Amino acid sequence: MADSSQNVRDEIAALLPRLRRFGRTLARHREDADDLVQTAVERALVRTDQWQPGTRLDSWMFRIMQNAWIDETRARERRGQTFVAEEYGEQIGVSTTDAQIDAIAVRKAVAQLGDDQRAVVGLVLVEGLPYKEAAEVLGVPIGTLTSRLARAREALQAILAGAEGTR
Amino acid sequence: MMMKWTDDTLMAFVDGELDAAQRADIERALAADAALRQRVTALTMQRERVAAAFAPVLDEPVPDRLAGLLRPSSMPPAAAPVNLDERRAARERSARLPSWAQWGGLAASVLMGVLLGMQFKPGGADLAIELRDGQLLAGGAVEKALASQLASQPVVGAPVAVQLSFVDKGGSYCRTFSTAAMAGLACKQGERWAVQSLATAASTPASAVRQAASALPPAVLSAVDQRIAGDALDSAHERQARDRGWRR
Repeated sequence: MADSSQNVRDEIAALLPRLRRFGRTLARHREDADDLVQTAVERALVRTDQWQPGTRLDSWMFRIMQNAWIDETRARERRGQTFVAEEYGEQIGVSTTDAQIDAIAVRKAVAQLGDDQRAVVGLVLVEGLPYKEAAEVLGVPIGTLTSRLARAREALQAILAGAEGTR
Repeated sequence: MMMKWTDDTLMAFVDGELDAAQRADIERALAADAALRQRVTALTMQRERVAAAFAPVLDEPVPDRLAGLLRPSSMPPAAAPVNLDERRAARERSARLPSWAQWGGLAASVLMGVLLGMQFKPGGADLAIELRDGQLLAGGAVEKALASQLASQPVVGAPVAVQLSFVDKGGSYCRTFSTAAMAGLACKQGERWAVQSLATAASTPASAVRQAASALPPAVLSAVDQRIAGDALDSAHERQARDRGWRR
């Protein structure tokens, strides 16, 4: 019993880099993203028995993160706080490559999307989940998932095209 | 013919959500329709671009406040591994990224759409990748180079360079190759070479074909790491393998 629980812990530990990455698409700030991962891991650890072996542990963790994010967003709204905007600009240094500059532009564009769209972008485009898995993580029908994804893609393209036009 | 393919269908194609019959329909249409290729390429590029923007997070050290939550309680926190050589190597690997667009996670059919969408010179070595039954195969100059060129004897000025030859975990011969516009890993499968990993030069193709294995894109090198059983072939074994037609 203790062993199987430690196995799940080990598997979650192995997922941490991806959980942090998904956190970065939901929250716009590194510290907020890691706070979110921390909350989700703590929640997962008290209910490891609810995870069904044979189903994807990454999807289960993403769902816990997504729910924790919604809770956090609502709590901050109640308290009248806003999230700190990520200072992407500070990362640009002398040795910054074209790929890094592009990555910053893309992350900035993603940060401008709404919560729903950032979640689908994170799950499908970044984490590579199939539509069906992503829809289950978000608790929406697959048609809703695909229309959100299509709108998010259009919005991203428009933001990035605009940014390039003014460069 | 006009607007036969909706944006939603093309999106599902790029995301690997279509069944084999639908994929085959689009693949056929891609070969004949430049506007369609452009739409598929734009969607593919966007997907890769977004994925690439967040990929570096995976290489960041996981903060101990997170890793510590999952450690068995009896175990003390591990000292942070500081290996400057490794860190420098990782940084240099990522610094090489900008010169390559990497297509690691994409379905073969989507990759083919991208390759067709790129403006390769007709008759050049770069059309030398074929799509058959959802699999990418080396053809033309690439296939010829894989069959005959020795990594141990680089041919200066050849359109295709071969850098490494090795036996994979399944017992097949695999070889890396590059042209001015792409680089990849192919493994012998029956009579053909199946392409396992491919990267395209993102902007202007390099003026010279890369001869050194160290110049291969990280995605191709990591595909080698995943498949290789033991070491790369030395020149004597490579020559023997070639002379036997890469059959084992």
